[in-house]
Amino acid sequence: MKNKIKELRTKYNLTQEELARRVGVRRETIVFLEQGKYNPSLQLAHDVAEALKTKLDELFTFD
Amino acid sequence: MKKDKIRLILIATGTILLLTTAILYSLMIAQKEKINLGNLIPLIIPLLIIIFMAFFIIRRYKGIKSGMPLEDEYSKKVMLKASSVSYYLTLYWLLFIGWFEEPIANLFGLQHLDAGQTTGAGIVGMAIFLFALWFYYSKKPNLA
Repeated sequence: MKNKIKELRTKYNLTQEELARRVGVRRETIVFLEQGKYNPSLQLAHDVAEALKTKLDELFTFD
Repeated sequence: MKKDKIRLILIATGTILLLTTAILYSLMIAQKEKINLGNLIPLIIPLLIIIFMAFFIIRRYKGIKSGMPLEDEYSKKVMLKASSVSYYLTLYWLLFIGWFEEPIANLFGLQHLDAGQTTGAGIVGMAIFLFALWFYYSKKPNLA
């Protein structure tokens, strides 16, 4: 599964820490999400998409 | 956030109480003439737990200070995975202790391990596995 978290976070000038705070998770979680090392729950994926003002299916794509 | 701080304070308090008990116990066994595996295991277990908790508390304190939650979905999964794998490995560790009970006892200058020592060795092994796996999964996740 690929994602555009880093791309959108950079677009909105957000640091990993700021995004983590908005979503309510720890910074490490954002790091592993961006690296594609962790598949989030539907709830977390939704929260990240909302924080990055995008749709879930645009943020995460399957190969 | 306040709830997280209270939880962290409670964890730290528990760790300090454990440390105090370990110090009192070590003072008590220091007065004994012969130190063997039997009276060292009850000291090793709390020391391992204290080392693990110290790492845990420092990491979580830094996180809380910068506005992060005490735990989230990922950190819960790391702990869950580390716990389940350490439980699985402990089964093999206990088998190992059962098979090689005599050589292990000889290493510590004993003839045989009694039930308490065997249980203690099992718990020490489990604590080591848990700490090592928690550290491993925290750094190199394989939970995708």
